[in-house]
Amino acid sequence: MQARLAAVNVVSAVVDDGRSLSALQDVFDAVDPSRDRALAMELSYGVLRWRWQLDGIAHRLLSKPLRRRDRDVMLLIWVGIYQLLHMRIPPHAAVTETVNAVRAMDKEWAAGLVNACLRRFVRERDGLLAQADQADEQALSYPRWWLARLRRDWPAQWREIAEAGNRRAPMTLRTNKLRIEREQLSARLTEAGLSHALCAYSSDGIRLDEPVDVAKIPGFVDGSCSVQDEAAQLAPGLLDLGPDQRVLDACAAPGGKACHLAECSPRSQVVAVDIDAVRMRRVDENAARLGVALRSTVGDVAKPAQWWDGQLFDRMLLDAPCSASGVVRRHPDIKSLRRDEDISALAVTQQDLLENLWPLLKPGGILLYVTCSVFREENDAVVAHFLAGHPGAMEYPIDSQWGNKLAVGQQILPSEQMMDGFYFARLVKR
Amino acid sequence: MAILPILHFPDPRLRIKAQPVERVDDSVRKLVDDMLETMYEAPGIGLAAPQVNVSKRVIVIDISDDKSSPLCLINPEIIRRDGIEEMEEGCLSVPSIFEKVERARQVTVRFLDRDGKSVETAADELLAVCIQHEIDHLEGKLFVDYLSELKRQRIRKKLDKIRRRTM
Repeated sequence: MQARLAAVNVVSAVVDDGRSLSALQDVFDAVDPSRDRALAMELSYGVLRWRWQLDGIAHRLLSKPLRRRDRDVMLLIWVGIYQLLHMRIPPHAAVTETVNAVRAMDKEWAAGLVNACLRRFVRERDGLLAQADQADEQALSYPRWWLARLRRDWPAQWREIAEAGNRRAPMTLRTNKLRIEREQLSARLTEAGLSHALCAYSSDGIRLDEPVDVAKIPGFVDGSCSVQDEAAQLAPGLLDLGPDQRVLDACAAPGGKACHLAECSPRSQVVAVDIDAVRMRRVDENAARLGVALRSTVGDVAKPAQWWDGQLFDRMLLDAPCSASGVVRRHPDIKSLRRDEDISALAVTQQDLLENLWPLLKPGGILLYVTCSVFREENDAVVAHFLAGHPGAMEYPIDSQWGNKLAVGQQILPSEQMMDGFYFARLVKR
Repeated sequence: MAILPILHFPDPRLRIKAQPVERVDDSVRKLVDDMLETMYEAPGIGLAAPQVNVSKRVIVIDISDDKSSPLCLINPEIIRRDGIEEMEEGCLSVPSIFEKVERARQVTVRFLDRDGKSVETAADELLAVCIQHEIDHLEGKLFVDYLSELKRQRIRKKLDKIRRRTM
């Protein structure tokens, strides 16, 4: 399939049908990998990232709205403007190829319209952009409710956070220290011609200068490393792991953090639980590749009766289901998929998980609450509420060089110190 | 009176910031008595409530050789520090480890006594060091925090070994 058509299909599936990018990999698989696949992905991710800006401009270019059954033509105009505005494709090539895609859609009649819109955009670009910049929603390309939340939660930093979410994320590796030292892995990457830098905060992290296919990373297949953002790599260090502990990773799939815990404390028993049986299989695959021992269990974390063996845990990691608003730079589809009312519902779930896991923790044990969200309703609000209702739970403050100290917990804002937007709160049981 | 179990480094409960005592009542006085007994029995010259898993701003001290000068400081606050001194310190929560730490040579401290009366007093040398060490506990801070990361790692390993031998 042609790259631009594939992009229209993907964007439509996300924006109109509410499907997630990760569920649409088969569309990309249908595109010729030697020529068009990378372009199809770039277009899809980029258009989803800039959707509100592109839509605003497209509306100004059309003299009258398109009919509903011509939604695909509208999406193709988004794809066209995206190439002209955010990519280094020569304008004549971008216009010609996009018009060709209309023909491939069997909508010959729209070829003239698309051609006219895109040419007008090229001519009047500065004026159209200035108009789009008038509205934050279009200039920054987020739904209105999202920006309202950011403004409320982060009055000083909200614009920066929004802008950071539109930038591309780096690719970061996590050394499997059971297999190799970070410096050795670094040397192997240099040999393979992959330029990189050692992470400052995760002692296992290596950040690549350019993302590459994992197949090209020496040591990936043999389990010397995994792909994981530096922020996500901070979890084990915050848990004060000792030898021979019982460690729970709740909501563990696909197992990145659970495997990291096992790599950091090989003599401990790491129990990984998740409700999703299919994604749980990925935990076992990852554990096998990395050569770590885990006990993986399928069950509802909020209902320990389904999976708990009755023995208390020394350490617990609760990587709670969340809006993922801190990782939109990696998953631009999230901006389209989330609704404002989802956030309060997620906060209820998060509260519920904390409530049900807390009794499984030993006195003197540590629970680390983690989200990849920047919305405070899911972060410090959840933990503060929990602490208020549980006199036996105390905050164990995080003393770190990274992130921002909140009344409870520590927040990394997206792109701050190059990391994803994560929230961490550490609790200890009296 | 009762002897209370003492938490040992690296127990995370030692890291919790303790809460101020709102009213000095019998339950606080009972805590002070238990803490003194626990300290004498250990034996030690100072003990802070967080070390016995009570998150309150209470410390007890006795630097005499014959249990003759028990002190109890509730909601203590250092209001003045002078000079610098280095002394070897130990801690009931970090057993059998002794290391040199630099602190103020003289401090003035304000606190409530066991009757809830506000008191201000100056201390120097061993007593000054002891007061600073115990007040650190109320902030979740341990004397090993003043040492290098490498030294702290070594202490962790050593304590692990001791624990395994005694288990």
